[in-house]
This record gives sequence, C-alpha cells and structure tokens, in this order.
Amino acid sequence: MKTITAGVLGAGRIGKIHANNLMAMPGVRLKAIADPFADFKSWPGPAVAASKDPEDVLKDPEIEAVLVCSSTPSHADLTDAAARAGKHVFCEKPIAVDAARVRATLETVKRSGVKLQEGFNRRFDPTFARVRRAVVDGEVGDVQLVRVTARDPAAPPIEYVQTSGGMFADMTIHDFDMVRFLSGAEVEEVHAYGANLVDPAIGAAGDIDTALVSMRLSNGALAVIENSRQAVFGYDQRIEVLGSKGGVEAFNETPARTVLRSGAGVRHENPLYFFLERYQRSFVLELEAFFASIRGDREPPAGGNDGLMALLICLAAQQSLLENRPVRVGSTAGAGAKKSQ
Amino acid sequence: MHTENLVHSVPDAYVKAVASPRLDQAWVDALGIPIRATDVDVILNDPEIEAVVVTAPSGRHVELIRRAAAAGKHIFCEKPVAFEPQAIEQAQAAAKAAGVKLQVGFNRRFDPGLLQMWQAVQRGDVGEIHQLRVTNRDPKAPPVDFVKRSGGLFFDFAIHDFDTVRFLSGSEIVELFAAGAVLVDPEIGKAGDIDTAIITLRLANGALGVIDCSRQTNYGYDQRFEVFGSKGSVFVDNTTATTVVSSSKGGVVAEKPHETFVERYREAFVAELAAFVASVRDGSPVRVGAGDALAAVRAAGAARTSHLEHRPVTLADNVQAVGGGQRR
Repeated sequence: MKTITAGVLGAGRIGKIHANNLMAMPGVRLKAIADPFADFKSWPGPAVAASKDPEDVLKDPEIEAVLVCSSTPSHADLTDAAARAGKHVFCEKPIAVDAARVRATLETVKRSGVKLQEGFNRRFDPTFARVRRAVVDGEVGDVQLVRVTARDPAAPPIEYVQTSGGMFADMTIHDFDMVRFLSGAEVEEVHAYGANLVDPAIGAAGDIDTALVSMRLSNGALAVIENSRQAVFGYDQRIEVLGSKGGVEAFNETPARTVLRSGAGVRHENPLYFFLERYQRSFVLELEAFFASIRGDREPPAGGNDGLMALLICLAAQQSLLENRPVRVGSTAGAGAKKSQ
Repeated sequence: MHTENLVHSVPDAYVKAVASPRLDQAWVDALGIPIRATDVDVILNDPEIEAVVVTAPSGRHVELIRRAAAAGKHIFCEKPVAFEPQAIEQAQAAAKAAGVKLQVGFNRRFDPGLLQMWQAVQRGDVGEIHQLRVTNRDPKAPPVDFVKRSGGLFFDFAIHDFDTVRFLSGSEIVELFAAGAVLVDPEIGKAGDIDTAIITLRLANGALGVIDCSRQTNYGYDQRFEVFGSKGSVFVDNTTATTVVSSSKGGVVAEKPHETFVERYREAFVAELAAFVASVRDGSPVRVGAGDALAAVRAAGAARTSHLEHRPVTLADNVQAVGGGQRR
C-alpha cells in the first residue's frame, strides 16, 4: 500500500481525534499539524511537526492530503487554499453555512483537480452502513419510509447555541445527510415543526431544541427526523427504513451488552453517552475511505456535493419553521438557486 | 369477534340476541345465543336487553345509535362512528338525550402495553412530554374494493393513531401536517387514496407528535409507540405469538409481529367490552366516548385537507371536541 503523507489544520477536539487516528493508521504518515491557538507542549510528540501557521502545512510539497479541522468559519478558505496548493482535502462539515460560498469552494476544488471528502462520519458507522447495505442489496426492496431519531444526551451551553447556526445547521444536518445516504434519493421538500421544550434559554437565543422534520424524497418516499437536544438516558441514535419487501432498523449501541434482571425489572444498558463514544469507529473508517480514494483515484464516498445538498435541505427546513409551510429544497433565498416554486 | 368475546370472556354479560342480515345458525347455536334475527327491531324492542354492540357497516352506525338510544339501550359502537363530525355530534346528542352510555371502539386504549405506557406517563416517568411517535403499519394492503369504501387512510387507519396520540398525551391536537404517498399499490392511488403517510403534529401541551402509516410491511402488523420527555422515554414494542429465536449461519431470527389486529389486540378487544359492561352496570362513565370519536375524525379531516392542499392545517375548533369519560 502506498504511503500518503498528510497534514492536519486545526488541533481542537475533532482535529486531535483525526490526528491520533492518522498516527495509528497504516499507509498514512502524518507529517505536520498547524493551529494558531494550540500550544503543542505535550502533544502530538516529536514525530509530527507542529506549527502555528497553516501555511507551513500548505507549502510543504511532500504533503499530499490535508484535513481541515479548524473552526467552521475558516473551513472554506482553508479548503480553497489547500486545493490550490494541489492537496486532496478532507474537510469537517460544514464547508460553509452559505450555499454560494460552498459552491465557490466546490468550483475551486474541481478546477484544482483534487479530491474533497466531507466529514459525514455517520455514513461510515458500521451499523448505519449495514442499514444502507440492506437498501443497496435490495433486502428491503424499494424505500418507502425513512426515520432518523437523533437526540443529544444534554443541551449544549447557551454560548455554543448562540454561535451554532441553529439546531438544523448544527445538529440536524447530519440527519439530513443520513436520509439522503439511506434512501439514495434527494430530499425534494421539507416541512419542519420545532419547539423549545428543553431549555428556555435556547428559546431566548432564538433557537429550538425539539423538532420533527417531515420530508418528501425524489423517489417518492417519505422521511421523518426526530430531534431533541436532551435525551436524559443518553445519545439516542436510531434509524429505520421501510421498503416494499420489509424493514431494517438500527438501535442504540451500548458500552456493554448486559441485561440486569431483578425484582425492579429487566435493565438494559444506557446508550453510549455521546458522539465521540458512539461514532468512534466511524472517524477511523471515514479517513481510511478518504485515503483509499486517493490511492485508487476514485471519488470519495461523501463528497462536497453531499455537504451542499445537506445545507440546502437545512436552509429549506429553517424557512419552513419560520413560515410554517412545506418548502422545496433549493428554493430558499440563501440557497442561491434559480427560482422559488 | 365481539360476540364471541362477550360470550366467552366477559362473565358479567349475557348475550341474548344477535341481529344481522347474514348469520350462521351453527355459530349462533354454538355460542348459546337464544335469539337470532335479521331485523334489529327484535333487539331494540326487547325490554330485557340493556345494551347493544353496534358492529354493522360504518354507514349505518349513526342511524343504529339513534334508534338504540331512543330505545333506551346503552351502546358500544365500533369505529368510525361516522366520517362527518356533525353525524357524530348527532349520535352523541341522541345518547345524551336518552341518558344512555355510548362507548367507541378505540380498542388500543385497552391494550395492556399502551395502558401501562399511559400509566407511566401519568406517573410522570417521562416528565414533561416532548415527542410522541406512533408507528402503524399493516402487514398487507387491503383489497381495493375495501379501500374504496373505507373512507381513506386517514379516516380508516390513522384514526386510531390520532386517538392514541390524544390518549397518551392527555392533550389535544392543535395543528398537523400530513404527507401522503402511493407506494404500495398503484390501484390504491387510482381509487383516490394513499397507502403511505407521515403526519407530524403539534399538541396543546406544546409537544410534537409523528404518526407513520403504511398499508404494507410484509413482516406483520407493526404497532410501536414511543413517548419521549424531559425525564426519559417509554416505548411499546411489537408483540409476537411466541418468543422463539433461532440462530444459524444465516442469522439470528426472531418471530415476526402478529399478522393481524385480531391477534395483536386480543386482550384489548375483550377489555374494552368488559369496561363497557362495567360502565353500564356501575353507572360509571365510559373510558372512550363520542367526544373522542369526534376529535379523531376532526384530526383525520384536517390530515386529509393538509394532504390535499399541501399545507399545515389548524384544528381551530378542536377545543370543543374534548369528551368521553375519565378525562382529567
């Protein structure tokens, strides 16, 4: 297997996870990490060059691939810069929260002839990938109904909510991608109900913490997403697809598989607490797939267009919530698309 | 089924007569029912009969309720009482004027699983309700002839789900958005109906609900319910005839859900009649009444409008729809 030399931009929580995964990954050499705000005293160690300046990574001719893990507002600029420097890019989602900005970056990437993968890690979760395979292999027949249940264990701090871009952009965007991924179809229309039931401070910040989003897909199927910012029993991540031949469902994963039986009842384990635990494996698998795409000169499995589509659905959902009507995807003002219906 | 349940499983009831245009004499004899009639007047004019169970075709429900009420009989009526809210109001008024009880066949309210779920919600186990989900899917699509006279998916099928949402939440549906599709059988579409739907809704208590319906699973009668709230969630899963699990190289295979509503809600069908008989005997209010039928039909009507007009629909006059017994 050809070894690919890689660099990481951004050493926050997700940057560290990716960097650590790369250091343990066969066929990849992590050469450099850059983050203006990190001190790099105890990490990543002597084997990896650490710098405050992203240019140090972008200018290094030996580095073929770059992981953009910086804060969201810098994703598009860094992806552009990396693409222009001829480096393949893995970018955390979202590239940008403005559709026109995303399109500009996709154009730059295309002109540069590099590969772009976006961090829709859930597609690589073995359980969810298995559900997708049940669809691809025809085990459920034609897709008719899709349900995504996604509930966080606890509401984020209000400071986070204020800069998150809203629940749909911050949280539901993964679920929009999951609906597209599972169905293999495009979301054509969205209707969103939202509520503020978990924390009044979230409502005061102009956001919602509970939502039901109903969708109509290009293959005729219907879909629904259930979101909450707070499931007190743990990270609630379940999906279900009903098709013409049957259905497939994925349940929550637990730290262990015990059942405790007593006079009080039969107690199962709570779900894994949050996304770092639940999707640990998917973070490795998405990067393996990225490097395999580079080696095999194939399109990455979750490309920039997937990010753009998820963003357009998100914008439609935001508008639906605002105006309480079904909204066609791509028709919203911020989508930069031709015409509203 | 109701007759057999009354005879075999409701000890407090004595079935004196059964009336229907078509009856199997051997079946009636086997049940030990003394009077078999083709004319309902035989029942309505019998002074000894205190209560009637109406299982005639839906189109005759209101007429039979009015006649039974006028004859002073307590009434158990299968759903739907009627498709038109005004007709249900007439039936309700007739029962009220006659001072007789009118219970409606929303059998799920008597299912042991759903009852326990309701109790858990009442106890506060889930805290404040944030979300409810009802999954209601038939194993096989019905014949198109049935679809044509069924009243449509929202009135024939989802009607139970609207009632379940009201029952579990203890709240009223104030607005809903219905997305429907024809994905199972094109003939259903040609008959002007749909076979697949997702209905999202808002409740008066602020919670959100979702109902997903399909006329065909191919894996049995799929009946699952979830209530999610500030302190946790409660879930009712499908039930199976046995709990056998077979493991082999091909996989670990458990039994499919029950194939029909008759099996899935066997206990509920008995319990609803036992409760009706108890209400008649004790003079206690029925647990599910015409007001509940009215609210469910109004929701079904709103869902149909939402689907046809492609917009969310408010149930503006829903406040008046609260009825039935035992509501707090």
